Amino acid sequence: MLIVSRQAPWAGPAAREALDIALAGGAFGLPLAILFLDDGVFQLQQGQAPAALEQKNLCANLQALDLFGVEAVYACQHSLHVRGLAAGTLAVEAQPLAAEAITALFNRFDEVITL
Amino acid sequence: MATLHVLSHSPFTDGRLASCLRVLGPEDGLLLCGDAVYALADASALRHPRLYALEEDVQARAVVAKAAVEVVDYPAFVALTLTYAKVNSWL
Amino acid sequence: MSTLIADGREIALDKDGFLCELADWSPAVATALAEREGISLGEVHWAVLAVLRDFYREFQLSPATRPLVKYTAVRLGPEVGNSAQLNRLFNGTPAKLAAKLAGLPKPTNCI
Repeated sequence: MLIVSRQAPWAGPAAREALDIALAGGAFGLPLAILFLDDGVFQLQQGQAPAALEQKNLCANLQALDLFGVEAVYACQHSLHVRGLAAGTLAVEAQPLAAEAITALFNRFDEVITL
Repeated sequence: MATLHVLSHSPFTDGRLASCLRVLGPEDGLLLCGDAVYALADASALRHPRLYALEEDVQARAVVAKAAVEVVDYPAFVALTLTYAKVNSWL
Repeated sequence: MSTLIADGREIALDKDGFLCELADWSPAVATALAEREGISLGEVHWAVLAVLRDFYREFQLSPATRPLVKYTAVRLGPEVGNSAQLNRLFNGTPAKLAAKLAGLPKPTNCI
């Protein structure tokens, strides 16, 4: 299953929900990948300090993807670029993908969930 | 293994369509429903061989389709979903 | 809701026996919680609890079984970090019970 997370981290529940699906699926050994697209790439920004927002710390939770068995973490190159983010400076290691690679990624999985 | 992408947000207030068009493969389908059908008013932005729009949403909004599109009713929409390997709704 | 007496304090527990306030945790609290589960904490238990508290500090969430096994294997080696051993140490439900004894919230992806 491919999870496409395309909402900014603190805008609403979507980013949290996408991550929860990934962590739950990973915990049960489901083969899955997560793609950060559009504002979703802001989730990967380094140095976020959301303590004052009094929500669960999404940034810290994202670091656990690997341990939960979600090893395939991708980010849309275009989304990163237009938002001034560089792949090498992210808080979570994500492989940047060009548009054609994302097209192929969508079609590699049996299920896609976009949030 | 092609994907049917389903959009329901207006392209004038939201980036989903632009983003979807960027990653849409030639074999993939694109179905517009809800406010996404407003995208049909601008033919220059929307050129895709497998472009569909939901009839009742087009009619309800009095959208004049300038882009080449196949207008489908609900049964045809359901049939369409079965011709693709999967459906991706841009929620 | 119930309470636990440890450290000479009265400590609030939720309906599943997890601490209501994570800050209430202390080794004495862990010992008292373990007694309620019929476990006498040994050296390896303590090592696993410390690993769990590190996990929580780092990721801000309680691990499900798989990540718990993986992380424990990295930290304490494969002799402890395997599901058979963790099951044995924590009555067959390591993710849930070890999180409880370590003073962590109940894991969300846990049946």
